[in-house]
Order: sequence, then structure tokens, then C-alpha cells
Amino acid sequence: MASIFAAVFEIVSFGAIIVLVVLGLGIIASMMGIFNFAQGEFVLLGAYVTYLAYAHGAPVWAGMVAAPFVVGAFGFVLEALIIRRFYAAPIVAMLGTYALGLIIRESVRGLIGGFYLTVPEPIGGSIDLGSVHISAWRFTIIVITLLVMGGCYLLLARTSFGLRVRATLENPALARASGISTPLIYGATFAFGAALAGLAGALIVPVFSLFADLGIRFLIQGFVAVMVGGVGSFIGPVAGAGVIGTLSAALPWVMSPVVADVLVFVLAIAFIKFRPQGLIAGKGV
Amino acid sequence: MSGAREAVARISEDVVTREGTPAASAPAGRASAGWKVLPIVEGLVLLIALVLPWVLQDYLTVFATRVVILALFALSFDLVWGYAGIMSFGQALFFGAAGYGVALMARDLNVTSILLILPAGALIGLTASLLLGGFLLLGRYPSSVIFVSLGTLTGSYAADRLARGWYYLGGQNGIPSIPPLTLGSYEFEEGPVYYYMVLGILVVVYLLCRFLVRSQFGLALAGLRENEQRIAFFGYKAQHLKAIIFAIGGTIAGLAGSLYAFHEGFVWPNMLGVVFSTQVVLYVLFGGSGTLIGAVIGTVIIEGVSFWLSDNYRDIWPIILGVLLLLVIMFRPLGLISFVLGERERVGSFGKAPKKESGNAAP
Repeated sequence: MASIFAAVFEIVSFGAIIVLVVLGLGIIASMMGIFNFAQGEFVLLGAYVTYLAYAHGAPVWAGMVAAPFVVGAFGFVLEALIIRRFYAAPIVAMLGTYALGLIIRESVRGLIGGFYLTVPEPIGGSIDLGSVHISAWRFTIIVITLLVMGGCYLLLARTSFGLRVRATLENPALARASGISTPLIYGATFAFGAALAGLAGALIVPVFSLFADLGIRFLIQGFVAVMVGGVGSFIGPVAGAGVIGTLSAALPWVMSPVVADVLVFVLAIAFIKFRPQGLIAGKGV
Repeated sequence: MSGAREAVARISEDVVTREGTPAASAPAGRASAGWKVLPIVEGLVLLIALVLPWVLQDYLTVFATRVVILALFALSFDLVWGYAGIMSFGQALFFGAAGYGVALMARDLNVTSILLILPAGALIGLTASLLLGGFLLLGRYPSSVIFVSLGTLTGSYAADRLARGWYYLGGQNGIPSIPPLTLGSYEFEEGPVYYYMVLGILVVVYLLCRFLVRSQFGLALAGLRENEQRIAFFGYKAQHLKAIIFAIGGTIAGLAGSLYAFHEGFVWPNMLGVVFSTQVVLYVLFGGSGTLIGAVIGTVIIEGVSFWLSDNYRDIWPIILGVLLLLVIMFRPLGLISFVLGERERVGSFGKAPKKESGNAAP
């Protein structure tokens, strides 16, 4: 019983991490229609900012608070300078953001070298539930993920900013005609997605430690999750991330990890092939 | 069918006139005056390639051989993306699968004869690309571009992970010490002979591709790239055309992969994965997609500069590469070749020249 509980905790905590990473990716893909290949590098940047703060003597949590703002601001600048040119062609956007990601990743690699740098957990220790010990930090990640998910949902569904974002997604021309500044909305959405990635990177760096290929690890899983969930809504990618995250954490418990790894991708691609609209079709939030 | 052909020919004119703005630029002006830039560039590249081993030191010839093999690989991606507009972000899957396949043949079956290895490599590439392409591209509903690109990327990534974790394939280390290719009792060692052998294959494949993209089939492909729906309305089976060109691309990638495996003497998981897949995208975008020679030139330049810089600037080279790629995508979407090649010549003429066609109209 105790080991089952531990396994479930493992699975849920990995699922939460994937959801956290995919949130930003999903918002950018759904609301702007571009697949951002630099998203993994935004995660990496968030992790790097946290590490920098820690290395300069600041408390780890301070770096974690700063990371989303720094990465968000960076995303806003990138959108204004570069990404804006790519909206017309989704494939060109993929290649352009890939190039951006390459630049960011290799710059970070140059700064940290080929090392694995560790950052301590701001909340260490474990929570004891009877005979089971679960990592306090992983539990915190689950809680924060839930909070961020709720916050994003409320932001997009209940605020006037969310309404503008959805209006811009639905019909840019009409949104412009109604006096919404669509370039500003696109910039803000992209910055928001980047900030979420930065937050994800900051939170997961104590678990995975900092290395240059940190982002790549999640990028493809993230894309698959977005496609499985369905592009065009907020809930879709989140649901997809939940499914992919849970599957990739759960399958290795019942079969060899190598097979499980590949099987998740095969299942996901087959699923998307036969249900292109994704798990949750339709517009809405 | 001939009606459809005429209609498609009209599309190609449409394409030319619609994108005809660069026609006023100098290179295009020269082209309309009867000068063809493309054959000159191709001839120059071939000439340089032919004399290279005479001027290079031995270790550089080995490097040049690698570049020629990678150019063959780039050609396969260019066919798929530059001509048919299918974003195959996982082209290395076919390259690496063939590499692993022939490496296993050499290790477990002691087969090293070039007469068996090269067809086997091409066949592995063909099979893999037929399976993946058939799955991704065919079906009741046309697949979205994004789905195909992410599907190929995922396929390549999954294959990489599989190769890393599978003991039979050597795990992280791959399969080392592949014996040399043989023809009868002759062994192809690295050096000028291997170089000319590979160059010969590249030239043959290049000419075949050139024939292919200038044929009626190539015209339909160009139409696919420009406006898929229109091609479908003319009665072409757009998905079938895509699957066919995807399989041809996979075959060439497989051929390149088997040559690469025997030239390097080992195969490792990166050959299957995202690293090589994106590398080939860089080559083609940089050189100029949609022209076959652009893919070759892009490979030569990127690999050459990378080799040249690797002593002093190894760390910052990937950053420079990223910046260059970004600049090319933003300001020169047609690649370096577009500095000398006009738009009209890039799109080219298809089949027979229009004047002759009116003379002998018989199909």
C-alpha cells in the first residue's frame, strides 16, 4: 500500500512538472498559433536565473520569484524584435524560434560549461505520512502548479485582458476594428507564455539540476502534449500535458523504461493522427 | 490529364508572376537575357569538387568525403521540403536507421560488399520513410503541416531514445569499428578513392533529382508547395504525391546514411536523432531551399566554416550558427543561393519549353 502511494505521488509530481512546462507552450500555441521551439530554452533561462541568484548569495526563493519576470521581459523584447515577423507562416516561425533557441542554449552552455550545476531546494526535507516519506519540494511543485493553472484559467476566462486575448485569437481583424491593440496583445501573450516557462524552469531546477540541454528534454514532450490535448483552447494543452506526463511517469513501472519511453510517443502520434482536433476540441477558454 | 497539365502550367506562370517582384533585380535580368546562372554554379561546384583531392592533404580529403556524404543527405531533405513543402524535421531517422542497419549487417552477418550494402541502405531508408510517411501523410483527412513536422520530429527523437536504451544496438556508444566497404577483394579505405566513389554517387543522384524536379512530377510538387488545395482541385492526389516524394527523400537519406556509417567506421545514436535532423535543416535553409545546388552549397559552407573555426572558436560557433540562421530566415528566406539566382530561374521551366510544345503537341 505504501509503495503504491509512493508510486502515485511520483507519477502525479512528474505530471505536474510537465503541466507546468506545457502551460506556457500551450498558451502561445493556442492563442497565437505558433509553435515556439525556443520554449525549452525559456525554461532553461528560468533555471539559469535561479542558479545565478543562488550563486551570488541571494536566497533560492528570491531567484525563483525573479525568474518569471526576467524571462517574461526577455520574451516581450524577443517578440517585438523578431517573433512578430513570423506570424504569417507557422513553419517559418518554427524555424525562426528554433534558431533563437539554439542561440540561447549555446550561450548558456558557454556560460555554465558542460557541467551539471545543482541548486538546493528552498523547502527541503520530506513530509511523513505514516510510513511514507514524500519530498516536500515536489509536493510544493504540485501545489504551485495547481495554483498557477487556476490563476491562468481565471486570467483568461474572467478578466478583460483574457477577453481581449481570446478576441484577438478568434478574429484579429475584428479585434483591431474594435479598438484592441493586437500587436500589444500578442506581445503580452508571448511574454506571459515565456514567463510561465521561466517559472517552470525555476521550480524544477532543484529536481533536475542545471545543464544546457535541460530545455530540449521537455520540448518534444511538450509539443506532443499540446497536440494530444488540442490546440486552440487553454484547457486542451493542460489536459494533454496531464495525460502525457502521467503516462510517461506511469508506464516505466509496468514495463522496461526504454520501451515505455518510445511507446508514449508512438501512442501520442497515433492518437493525434486519428483525432487531429485533440482530446478537447472546440474553442472556449 | 492533358487539360490538368495545361492548368498546372498556368499555375506555374501564376507563381512566377505572383512572386515576380525580384524579376527586376540584376540576376533575374541576366537570366531573361538568355544567361542561365544555375548550370554555371553547378558546373563550378562540380569542378571544384573534382580537383579537391589533388590540392588537399589526406586528412582534409577524409573531411571532404564526409561533407560530400552530408550533401547527399541534404539533397534528400531539400527534395522533401524545398520542392514539396513537407517539413520533415526527422530526416535523420532514415539516415540513421540505414546507418544502423548496414552496421548490423557488417557486424553480425559479415556483409561488407558495396553491391549489397548500398542497396540495403537505400531499401531501409525507403521502407522506413514509406511507413512513417504513409502513416503521417496518407489517410482520410489531409494532415496539417504542423502535425507532419512534429510527427517526423517525434519519430526521430523516439528512435534516438530507443537506440540509446537498446543494448543490442550498443546503447549510448553505438556500434564501433565497422569494417571497410569492399568490392570483391578491394577495400575502400578513407581517402581519394572513397571520395571519388561518393562524389560519383552524389552526381548521379543529383542528376536524377534534377530530372525529377524539372519533370511534370516536379511541377506538381512545386504546385503542392505553393498551394496544395489548388493542386488537389485539379485532380492530383496531393497526399499520394507527398508520400511518394517523402519516400524518395527517405531512400536518398538511407543511401547517405549507409555511406556515412562505413566512412566514419561507427554509428551512434545522434545519427538518428534531433541533432542530425536539425543539422540538415540548417544546411538546406542556409544554402537555399528549392534549388538542389543550394543544399549542396549550404552543406559545404556550414561544414567547412565549422571545421575551420573548430580549433579556436569551438564554443561560440553554435551561437554564430544560430545568429546566421536567424538572419537568413528573416532577411534571405531563399538562402545564400538567392544572391546569384533570380526568382524566375529558381522556379524554372518544366517539361518541354512552351514554344516547342505548341509545335509538336502530340503527348
